[in-house]
Amino acid sequence: MTARRLPAGLFAALVVAACAAPFAVLALLSVADGWTFSAPWLTAWRLGRWREALAGDLASSTALSVALSLAVALASTAGGLATGRAVARCRHRRAWLWMAYLPFASSPVVLSVGLVVWWIRAGWAGTLGGVALAQLVFGYAYGVVFFASFWTPRLLAYGDLVRTLGGSAVQALRLGAWPVARSAAALCLAQTFLLSWFQYGLTLVVGQGRVSTLPVRVFAYVGEADAGLAAVASLVLVGPPLAMLWLNRRLLRVGMGDGG
Amino acid sequence: MKWLPVVRAVRVPWALVPFVALVGAPVALALATAAVLSVRDVAGRPSLAAWRAVLTEGEALGSLALSAFVATAVVALALGLALPLALALRDRVRRGIVGAALHAPLAVPAVVAAFVAFQLLTPSGIVGRWLVAAGVVGGMEGVPVVVNDRWAVGIVLAHVALAVPFLVLLLAELADSERLADLARLARTLGAGQRAVRWRVEVPVLLRAAVPQAALLWVAVLGSYEIPLLLGRQSPQMLSVLTLRTFERFDLADKPKAFVLAVLYALAVGAVLAVVLRRREAS
Repeated sequence: MTARRLPAGLFAALVVAACAAPFAVLALLSVADGWTFSAPWLTAWRLGRWREALAGDLASSTALSVALSLAVALASTAGGLATGRAVARCRHRRAWLWMAYLPFASSPVVLSVGLVVWWIRAGWAGTLGGVALAQLVFGYAYGVVFFASFWTPRLLAYGDLVRTLGGSAVQALRLGAWPVARSAAALCLAQTFLLSWFQYGLTLVVGQGRVSTLPVRVFAYVGEADAGLAAVASLVLVGPPLAMLWLNRRLLRVGMGDGG
Repeated sequence: MKWLPVVRAVRVPWALVPFVALVGAPVALALATAAVLSVRDVAGRPSLAAWRAVLTEGEALGSLALSAFVATAVVALALGLALPLALALRDRVRRGIVGAALHAPLAVPAVVAAFVAFQLLTPSGIVGRWLVAAGVVGGMEGVPVVVNDRWAVGIVLAHVALAVPFLVLLLAELADSERLADLARLARTLGAGQRAVRWRVEVPVLLRAAVPQAALLWVAVLGSYEIPLLLGRQSPQMLSVLTLRTFERFDLADKPKAFVLAVLYALAVGAVLAVVLRRREAS
């Protein structure tokens, strides 16, 4: 194939350049000052936009997104761990897993159109709690899919052994399963954090535009045709996932069947 | 506490209760709501007017056709690019700077991908400036229009750029799990040449193994929102964009049409997943 005919170093450099391009574009736009058409390169640049953005609405949106994503990730991971165990033990495991896959078979935006009718009636629409509950539909389902394959018969048997030897249910979990589950729980926590962190359409519809998370803020800046601020907000948005990449590449592989 | 032994005898798996309440019930409720409200008028009376309007006006069918075209083009192009890359890069996918670079785009959400694609591809964007500077085109009017264009080229390109690194990593993992190296070695031992190994062993094995993920990618692109919202035309729009736009219209009489579109989307996705899963089970 074509790739084989290129020198290995050049080919690798091309792959790296292509993958780094979006970040380079964002970095350039975030410091560009009056980059008018036909100029192929920046004519002037300033760092002041970063200061302005981080002192304004962007900081509150970032704090809101962090709090929301952490809450959704913690609830999804804890729920996924417990429910995944129950699903693994259940006779109708396949049917329960189908239920967990269901949210991913429908677009968040399309699903939110049916969901928001009930959220409005319950008074949850336009509130942070309402958005968290709506995002939990996806996060919790992901947690269950993740942990259903994690709870193998062998791992379940560790817990049973602790119970047989006189341990309580809490001790069975703490001493039997947790030492093995700890790293998987960290992985699930990071991935469900990202599911919530990246969510735009569902947040927009259920939040009724009043819950201004970071992705909502990025689109607002794009709508205002402020490419510089949109670039700053985008870089803040990709920051945590990139930090996770630096810590551990597996953390980013949402949906790649990395569970357990 | 006479009822306590009864409750214990039922042996409800309690950990499944919050799952039903927080995942199963909302999803079922949302889909049922869309189905019910699609066959009612704005006053709540039974009516098929919204279905008739959606199926005869042509906008929804155009939207469905565009969404299916974009999703199919993205899956075909992304697999077409990712397959040779995965086979060429093999072990380097997991280590070194190439491995790190391939993971980096996984950190880019659709909203950022849409913004970057817009800044790159719009006629006055970065690519356009470079084309003008290099003398390839005379000015902005000579730059090919791939944003808000008729064939949704910008939407397809942005989705492909997001999908290719993910698919390269996935195919590299599938190559391991399918023991591709062993199969290739066996084929060579039996006399197959390099070309035959590539086209009759490696490519078919990887494509077959990647069918579920390709189907999920198709579904994800079919329902994508942010990228077509920024890079698409006003008409036809992709399904999610049209659904939300119809739902948010000032005219309340249009709301049932949004529910019809939601039902159409669910039926399209259900049909595709049913076919894929049935084929997989049959094989």
